[in-house]
Amino acid sequence: MSITQGPRVNNGHAPVGSGSPEVVMHGPDGTDTGWLSWLTTTDHKRIGIMYLFATFLFFILGGAEALLMRLQLGMSDNTLIGAETYNGLVSMHGTTMIFLFVVPVLAGFANYFVPLMIGARDMAFPRLNALSFWFLIFGGIAFYASLFFEPPQAGWTSYAPLSDEAYSPGGGIDAWIFLIHLTGLSSIIGAINLIATIHNMRCKGMSLGRMPIFCWTVLIYAYLLVIALPAIAAAVTMLLTDRHFGTAFFDVAGGGDPMLWQHLFWFFGHPEVYIMILPAFGMISEILPVFARKPIFGYKAIVAATAAIAFLGLLVWGHHMFTTPIPSVVLAFFMISSFTIAVPTGIKIFNWLATLWRGSIVMKTPLYFAAGFLSLFVIGGISGVILAIFPVDWQLQDSYFVVAHLHYVLFGGSVFAIFGGLYYWFPKMSGRLLSEKLGKLSFWIMFVGFNLTFLVQHSLGLSGMPRRIYDYPQAAGWEGMNVASTIGSFLLGIGVMITFVNVLLALRSGKRAGNDPWHGNTLEWFTPSPPPANNFDVVPRVRSLEPMKDIRRDVVKNTGDVAGSVSQPVA
Amino acid sequence: MEAATIAHEGHGHHHGPPEPNRSSRVEAQTLGMYLFIISEIMLFGAFFTAYFFIRVVIGDEWPAENMHLPVAVAGVNTAILISSSATIHWALESAKSGNRNGLKVGLLMTTLLGATFLAIQINEYVNIGFPPASNAQASIFYSLTGLHGAHVFIGLTLLVFATTRAFKGHFTEKEHRGVEIPGIYWHFVDVMWIVVYTTIYVI
Repeated sequence: MSITQGPRVNNGHAPVGSGSPEVVMHGPDGTDTGWLSWLTTTDHKRIGIMYLFATFLFFILGGAEALLMRLQLGMSDNTLIGAETYNGLVSMHGTTMIFLFVVPVLAGFANYFVPLMIGARDMAFPRLNALSFWFLIFGGIAFYASLFFEPPQAGWTSYAPLSDEAYSPGGGIDAWIFLIHLTGLSSIIGAINLIATIHNMRCKGMSLGRMPIFCWTVLIYAYLLVIALPAIAAAVTMLLTDRHFGTAFFDVAGGGDPMLWQHLFWFFGHPEVYIMILPAFGMISEILPVFARKPIFGYKAIVAATAAIAFLGLLVWGHHMFTTPIPSVVLAFFMISSFTIAVPTGIKIFNWLATLWRGSIVMKTPLYFAAGFLSLFVIGGISGVILAIFPVDWQLQDSYFVVAHLHYVLFGGSVFAIFGGLYYWFPKMSGRLLSEKLGKLSFWIMFVGFNLTFLVQHSLGLSGMPRRIYDYPQAAGWEGMNVASTIGSFLLGIGVMITFVNVLLALRSGKRAGNDPWHGNTLEWFTPSPPPANNFDVVPRVRSLEPMKDIRRDVVKNTGDVAGSVSQPVA
Repeated sequence: MEAATIAHEGHGHHHGPPEPNRSSRVEAQTLGMYLFIISEIMLFGAFFTAYFFIRVVIGDEWPAENMHLPVAVAGVNTAILISSSATIHWALESAKSGNRNGLKVGLLMTTLLGATFLAIQINEYVNIGFPPASNAQASIFYSLTGLHGAHVFIGLTLLVFATTRAFKGHFTEKEHRGVEIPGIYWHFVDVMWIVVYTTIYVI
């Protein structure tokens, strides 16, 4: 007999042997949708949606801060924003984007899709899952509350001694410290939850070798969080006691050393970079095979490369400290270990290109963003290898070249992938299709705006413009490129807003998506859109990396009917 | 919108979601505790980094001139904590074999030994004669021992729960996760103390 997966039709109620299947209306459990139900929910999908909603709000805040900075820099000798405000904006922008956007937005996607992709009912620890989310929100509130007294002004790195009591007496740094504590707890608890879920709750037949690459990258992301985050938790605790209880960890007069801060910070800070990019790699690895209509090229190589990147990522923190007094032989070690990361990363890039190669490409918005990711991330990767050469870094350290590099990997890399993921999975989360027209418009404006903003910053860095300055004289000759960068940043902002408008329009009146608008490969496309509270009425036995392809093939074999094999053909 | 239809051999007497599948031999709760302990090791690792940075890289004198560490008292305290690892193990084995008295006495003894350890450490702080603010060495002394003390406190909280439940008649030969998982944590706290004691007091 055949089983239909869906919330409304349930053949399961038919007694064995009775003629006609009984059709029952069973709304999914917990259809309560009041605001209190959102506050108290432990459903991974609702928590995932809250994560996405909250983190995209923080993204808008962080973006507004960036645009204010660009306005200030759009003119030489500008007096729009004062030095202190500018320092506050730098610190808030960096901290927001890293701790309140990129890391948690990936946790949000992971929350929503990992259980669906591995055929599980929920996360391993649903209540801890809610705790993770609320810690994130409390962290964000603690941090943004500093706007009402004094925002932190020591950058997202809060280097001692600048962040010590003597130089930053206001409470902003303390707000930053509490943000690190709270979001750190949030991430560690969330990471433990994701690891336990992935190890323990995969459905029948889904061995680790058949697990979707997104789940693999989330698994490795979670392990990295567990390993790396405690270092910064310890460091900010030391900073807190240095500031308020007179301890001397970073105080040279008391026998401490600010270098300790840098080591602890970057031991966390560099793996953090991979924490922010690996799940984005995972999203790309899900999107490309679906829209190239052929299997991912080199599954095992991609997974192994991900693990290799994570391992090597723990050994390269010194490349952020090339200009500190460290023996050259140690610098050489960090230089070579940083070069080595380019190898597994290159493996992935070529696997993705080979996935597209000779595929039957379906030009949809998620693929646009994935392709944008590929091109921009390669540029960021190459400038990264340049910066890893320590004598070159001595010249480029703290210049706009570094700003350009990090935005190419973080925005051109992670954020473009996140937008691709949003376009790819939004139909599953909402049941509605986003407009392709607006999506492609958004992509092109973002792509042009992004490159206009950041490509010229390489040149600005090479012509000597330091980062984190709020003002520069006209004689420096940087004005033209800064104007271009500012115009680009506003274009980028417009492009981003078009996607948000697209989301709002789709929620109101988007076309119905059906279960599987893209002919996906993974199990999340087997449930209705949006999935019911219990996720699956039936979990198929997984026989390959692409269970949905197997299901479609079975349907054709059993019914001879291709059109009926999925809920909706690719529009 | 009829959804994907698949060939399926099952007949539905089953309501609601399908049975969850367990894809690993370790229980999620145990795995979660191990993962938490990994993050704890990294946290201690960061403080040990600070310790070795101060002592080796900066080359500060250890212990500093004003620091007189009561090595013998702390040694006795170490013995107390290590013996509590034995008693919790005994409690767990008793639970597994259905020995209720062993379970209760084992948990109670563990809790008392842990509380004694904490009391002796607090007494040490009171009488040690230098504040955390006096220099970097004092800072790291207090932060490593204090971090460990905080972990003893967390472990004690878990033990109080487990002990209370044991006296209420919870736990059987099959169901003793509530003893086992605090036990794992308690062993971790004990082993970590050996490392802390060795680095701070002995070497």
